[in-house]
Amino acid sequence: MASVATMLSARRGRGKADWTDWVSYGYLLLGLLLMFGPVLWLVLSSFKSAAALNEFPPHFLPYGQKSVAVAGHETPLPLYRVTLPDGATRELAEVRRIGIQATLVDPNAPDREYKVNIRDRKPVRDLQFATGNYSEIFAKFSFGTYLWNSVFITVVATLITLLFNAMAAFALSKYRFGGRDAVFLLIISTLMIPPTIILVPNFLVVSELGLLNSLWGVIWPAVATPTGVFILRQYMLTIPDELIDAARMDHASEWRIFWRIILPLSAPALAVLAIFSVMWRWNDFLWLLIVLSPTEKFTLQLALNAFQGELTTQWHYLLAMTVVTLLPVTLVFAFLQKYITTGIASAGVK
Amino acid sequence: MAGLQLKRVAKRYGATTVIHGVDLEVKDGEFVVFVGPSGCGKSTLLRMIAGLESASDGDIVIDGNRANDVSAAQRGLAMVFQSYALYPHMTVYQNLAFGLENLRTPRATIDAKVRGAAKMLRLDALLERRPTQLSGGQRQRVAIGRAIVRDPTIFLFDEPLSNLDAELRVQMRSEITALHARLGTTMIYVTHDQVEAMTMADRIVVLRAGSVEQIGTPLELYNRPDNRFVAGFIGSPQMNFLSGRIATIRDEGARIALDAAPHAASDAALPLRVSTATVEQRVLLGIRPEHVMLGAATPGSLRVAATIDRVEQLGAASFLYCTLSSGERLTVHASGQVAYTGGEQMTVNLPVSDTHLFDATDAETAVALR
Repeated sequence: MASVATMLSARRGRGKADWTDWVSYGYLLLGLLLMFGPVLWLVLSSFKSAAALNEFPPHFLPYGQKSVAVAGHETPLPLYRVTLPDGATRELAEVRRIGIQATLVDPNAPDREYKVNIRDRKPVRDLQFATGNYSEIFAKFSFGTYLWNSVFITVVATLITLLFNAMAAFALSKYRFGGRDAVFLLIISTLMIPPTIILVPNFLVVSELGLLNSLWGVIWPAVATPTGVFILRQYMLTIPDELIDAARMDHASEWRIFWRIILPLSAPALAVLAIFSVMWRWNDFLWLLIVLSPTEKFTLQLALNAFQGELTTQWHYLLAMTVVTLLPVTLVFAFLQKYITTGIASAGVK
Repeated sequence: MAGLQLKRVAKRYGATTVIHGVDLEVKDGEFVVFVGPSGCGKSTLLRMIAGLESASDGDIVIDGNRANDVSAAQRGLAMVFQSYALYPHMTVYQNLAFGLENLRTPRATIDAKVRGAAKMLRLDALLERRPTQLSGGQRQRVAIGRAIVRDPTIFLFDEPLSNLDAELRVQMRSEITALHARLGTTMIYVTHDQVEAMTMADRIVVLRAGSVEQIGTPLELYNRPDNRFVAGFIGSPQMNFLSGRIATIRDEGARIALDAAPHAASDAALPLRVSTATVEQRVLLGIRPEHVMLGAATPGSLRVAATIDRVEQLGAASFLYCTLSSGERLTVHASGQVAYTGGEQMTVNLPVSDTHLFDATDAETAVALR
């Protein structure tokens, strides 16, 4: 906590705050607002009820109208602050409203009814977190299925990516064979081709293989990544060849050298690639939209898209689902960002 | 345990040949040291024996069987690397056990062997540590332990002591020698340090530019070097080389006139090894610094006038760095302390019986003539 305070009060030099300090803090604050503001608004809005979302002007916090249980009424009644004809203001519960005439009662003395013009009453509001948005999406939609599809694709694709890319990187970094550099250049050069350009050929291949509408149709085309091969190869180049020679003298097969020596020693680079892969796969959208048609194969991202109906959109559910979709990747990033920076630095990627 | 034979073993990378047809026979239980300046191919030769490099030509025979096409793992050898090459992510125990695990040795046997080797190398207390937590000498011992546990037929050492400080190097040198005495296994040891070679080897193989210059016991190399390169490489400080010519050849040998004292041919003859030497042939006379005598004339010596440039007094010994009238340099190693100082003139005796004679007509090879 003390370190946070130190960081936030850091100044240029020792004495009074310099004008550059003000500019720096102003700039940082602006950045914070721009970057974090929308996210914060999203999270807070996801706790608003459908009615609160449609209110104008919008509120930043999820306010809802207070309601009270009144004897003789089955459901809780909404609470209003009413200006009575005699000028006094009281908090009353509304029983019914006809036209511009509202009938209210005192929650503590429900026998007496007050009839007032609706202009003379104002809703009593307090903070209400509509947690139902979250609990209901699990029940109302096949949210569990979407989540499972997303998790399955992310985890399986990441594992296969790590294995395949590490094998390619091992061969490209530790074996001497003709055309090695050519192969490596070829792999790297695919970085220059935008995925949208090969969307149609990819689709044809996947379709021929009969993988349409299957999660594997999403996983297989994604596992071979030039970035991954590059990061891992650069890292493996730093592992001394003598270790491999020593392992060979130790009767280790090539596969065992890979599995027991190279993979554990490449852990930092593998962590980086794992983080990247999780983010890529979790946020994938376009390719999935093309390959996966039936709703039961939808991932969270596709489901989010499908949620925006042609006529109505249930914003409160959509926002809650967006937050849930953001969470895993945020957590991965928050806890593993240290590996990302060190890994990128060691792989020499800018 | 096994013997090793190399028959015309060569290594080529494209058009460049780095090993030129090496012939060598290592007897069972022998401690052979490959020595030579860096880049002479000694490590390459060792890696070829290990199976980590393929031989371009010739046969590598281990224990009577041609091993050229046998993989490194199947040759049954163990190697200690210059950088130790310990697996950094494994504990000492796992490092020692890795090779045995690959051989599918039963767990109980692995444990017994690892603990046995650890005890022998005083690593018992370090088994759960990782290599990064060990000192240089301890890492060295783990590397040796990793070789020991597999009971290899031949141990290969690739400059194993070059990363240690001087004191530790001396200590590990005697530990490896003791290990050889205890295990009795054939060992092949690569070094560029001629002191290591002299102190440890049963036999030394001197290599230069991919060719064997001489093979012999340490004292054979010291006493009877085959050529100028070996003569200069073995012994510290280096042997002095003085150019001269053959003045006369008789039955009992040749008499030499040095350029530094052209009119005084040696009064004793040097018996020659080869019969091709001719009168007036240019030669190099070699004499080790420790054989140069100071003081009054002794019979059977060449006498040369020298100017002392510098004197180093080490207490037990003294080194005198001199220049001769021919401009050649002469180092003198005198035992004990001397009364000379820099700038002084003196005459030194070169006992003919301690000199070596090399053919100067072919400076590249400079074959020994006696």
